[in-house]
Amino acid sequence: MTTLKISGLSKIYREPAQDVHALGPVSFESEEGDFLCVLGPTGCGKTTLLRIVAGLEFPDTGSVSVPIRGDGAEPVISYVFQQGALFPWMNVYSNIEFPLKAKKIRREIRQSRVEKMLEMVGLSSFRFSYPHQLSGGMQQRAALARSLVMEPDILLMDEPFSSLDTRTSQDLQENLRNLLKRTSTTVLFVTHNIEEAVYLAGKVIVLGHRPGRIVCTKTIDLPDPRSRLSDTFTEYLVSLRKIFESLVLEE
Amino acid sequence: MKYLPGFAIPCLLILWWLIATGGGRDTLLPSPGEVLNVLLHPLVDQISTGSLAWSTFVSLSRVMLGFMLAALAGIPIGLIMGASVNVRKYFSLIVEMARPLSAIALLPLSIIIFKAKTFAQLFGLEHLRYQKNLLNEMQLGMIFILFWGGVFPIILGTIQGVRSVRKLHLEAAEILGAGKLFTFRNVIIPSALPDIYHGLKLGIGRCWMVIIAAEMLPGTNSGIGYLIRFSYQLSRYDIMLASIVIVASIGALLSKGLEFLGEKSLVLRSRER
Repeated sequence: MTTLKISGLSKIYREPAQDVHALGPVSFESEEGDFLCVLGPTGCGKTTLLRIVAGLEFPDTGSVSVPIRGDGAEPVISYVFQQGALFPWMNVYSNIEFPLKAKKIRREIRQSRVEKMLEMVGLSSFRFSYPHQLSGGMQQRAALARSLVMEPDILLMDEPFSSLDTRTSQDLQENLRNLLKRTSTTVLFVTHNIEEAVYLAGKVIVLGHRPGRIVCTKTIDLPDPRSRLSDTFTEYLVSLRKIFESLVLEE
Repeated sequence: MKYLPGFAIPCLLILWWLIATGGGRDTLLPSPGEVLNVLLHPLVDQISTGSLAWSTFVSLSRVMLGFMLAALAGIPIGLIMGASVNVRKYFSLIVEMARPLSAIALLPLSIIIFKAKTFAQLFGLEHLRYQKNLLNEMQLGMIFILFWGGVFPIILGTIQGVRSVRKLHLEAAEILGAGKLFTFRNVIIPSALPDIYHGLKLGIGRCWMVIIAAEMLPGTNSGIGYLIRFSYQLSRYDIMLASIVIVASIGALLSKGLEFLGEKSLVLRSRER
């Protein structure tokens, strides 16, 4: 069933100098368990798109529709920021516990879910550390744990690994794929990194520059587990790169 | 060890002081030895006003009470003013007008209003009037101006703290499902703590200055400030200087004490990426 439906979404920032057409009409849909990657050069409006879906900003036209779940409950939407946005005055455990406490979930249940999450991201021995004591990669893992502990139906991720070095980033990408394997979460992942998109996504939506419009949509059909070195991988990589080149040349 | 360079200048001054008053010269300024002598006997009654310890205790008690009232009122007011633009607009005029009214300038007014009533009188313990009793020494008027002196830095510091919460954290809290009250308790207040502590530090510094000055004015006959004035009048400059040393030391202690309490929250916040 459809978990997310975006129709005709657009956003224009009205500056005194001139109107900035950040996001030009965009429409797409997703099914349960999909991993959608929104790929585009910096400034093409992909972050704006994500924030609108999250409810942090409002579109000028169009709508975002998140249908009620099969069991009649409101879908849970979660978000991972580019800089993690962990709360620096709380340790890792408290950060991950935050969304559960906010929903007044009982202590025993909170405890077991946080512990499980810590184990899944490999931070069990750092549960009492503070964010500033962790490396960048560990902070993002904690941020991911915090968003996943709510068991969201839709997970929005805004270039979460772009501030990390390649190796750490690739490790976390693999982590992410493993974490999501056992869930039916729909993921909307924004990035400007083509390789990341090919590795993670089931479907890549390429967004062009101002205005941010969909240039093309590519389905990535790679076997699991994905190898960055396989020929098919490279094929997808190259074809997407070509699309990117043409985008850049357009300016 | 790392504080050693800081001690260089005071040591030089003390050396100069020693030389100036040494060698049996007949000077107005007492020698360091005489001042030290007074300081080393804190429990001896000085010029029948009570001992150094008693005077210090009285001044400190007044400050503690005034400061705590200021904090109890100032922090909530600051939190509300910081969080709500409307409240801030309504109250900012009053606050801005009240702020320049120096606490000391208000002392005569507060004496008129509170009529030198002490806490002993408040609690109906009139019979203690001629005994040496702490409640007897706490005048309402004095506590009021201490409150006045401390509350404004605290309010302003708290407002600053609330307003400087990072938008990123507020957005994260919202997305993670936190309601307004939950966000206020778990995000806004911890984030504002360093600025609140700063306001408290400024507030207690002000309170200490106010009490010393207020004790030098008519209206009381106890406290370290009073001791300074009285010992001056009796030409006991050794007591006067000893009292000044105490005033300075306690001022530093109060300020450093609050800084120490606020260290943890400041460190946590400032080390974020």
